[in-house]
Amino acid sequence: MNQTKLSPANIVILAGGAVMLIGSFLNFYQFASFSTSAWGSGEGFGVFGIATIVVLCGVAMGVHVALSTFAPNVNVPDTLLGLSWDQVHLALGFQAALMMLAFLIRAKGPLEFGIGFWFMLLAAIALLVGAIMRINEAGSGPRAAG
Amino acid sequence: MDGKAQPTTSELIIMIAGAVMLVASFLDFAQIDVKAGSAWGKYLFPIATLLPLYGVAMAAQIALTKFANVKLPDQFVGFTWEQVHLVLGLLAGVMALGWLITDIPEKGIGFWLEVLGGIALAVGAVMMQRERHTGAIG
Repeated sequence: MNQTKLSPANIVILAGGAVMLIGSFLNFYQFASFSTSAWGSGEGFGVFGIATIVVLCGVAMGVHVALSTFAPNVNVPDTLLGLSWDQVHLALGFQAALMMLAFLIRAKGPLEFGIGFWFMLLAAIALLVGAIMRINEAGSGPRAAG
Repeated sequence: MDGKAQPTTSELIIMIAGAVMLVASFLDFAQIDVKAGSAWGKYLFPIATLLPLYGVAMAAQIALTKFANVKLPDQFVGFTWEQVHLVLGLLAGVMALGWLITDIPEKGIGFWLEVLGGIALAVGAVMMQRERHTGAIG
């Protein structure tokens, strides 16, 4: 997919990936003087390592769109582990949205969600929407590999 | 897939891992707050529950088609079942590694069984690609 013009789906994914990355460095949880990002220790609450997976999903999706659009000299394979890129985006977008929704409904005690959490939640939903839009742009289902 | 055929090695790995993860999800996962809780407990549900749910979904698909002769559609939202297993297995493996490096205190037996199960799901899903000659790997 070497094209210089971004499709609406790819714009959504690229923006979602960028917001996800920025949000990952902002407060995920906060309470009084304590705060942590998706990369920081969660004081035993399990943030780094778990919330970080969501970030990696978003970054991977954004990087793929950026490379395949703006770096024509980079040879991006048509498939990854037998999956088309539409399928990869759908899987990663689903995983990111599912994990952020899980964080949303998880009991958090005295902790409060920080701005980074809300950025990441919105970005994850955008990534899933973008992945679905890619499929709709392509036709009725994810383009099968091969 | 022939419903009367014996399960292959990869299918056995996934079914055993899924069963172990289901049981382990009710055992102590970690201590958050004051007392230890399972993957269904306060502060851990549903983020820690995703891992066993992936395992159960993968194991159930194989068990249903192998032993119950349930005829499922050839594809699920545009993915073949081998691709579904590959995606869920790899994501489970990544989540297992994620839990491994996270900082939750006093990891219990349920935690370690979930992590091992997640890695087993990834291994089983990759082996399945080879067994079924999907061409996805190797």
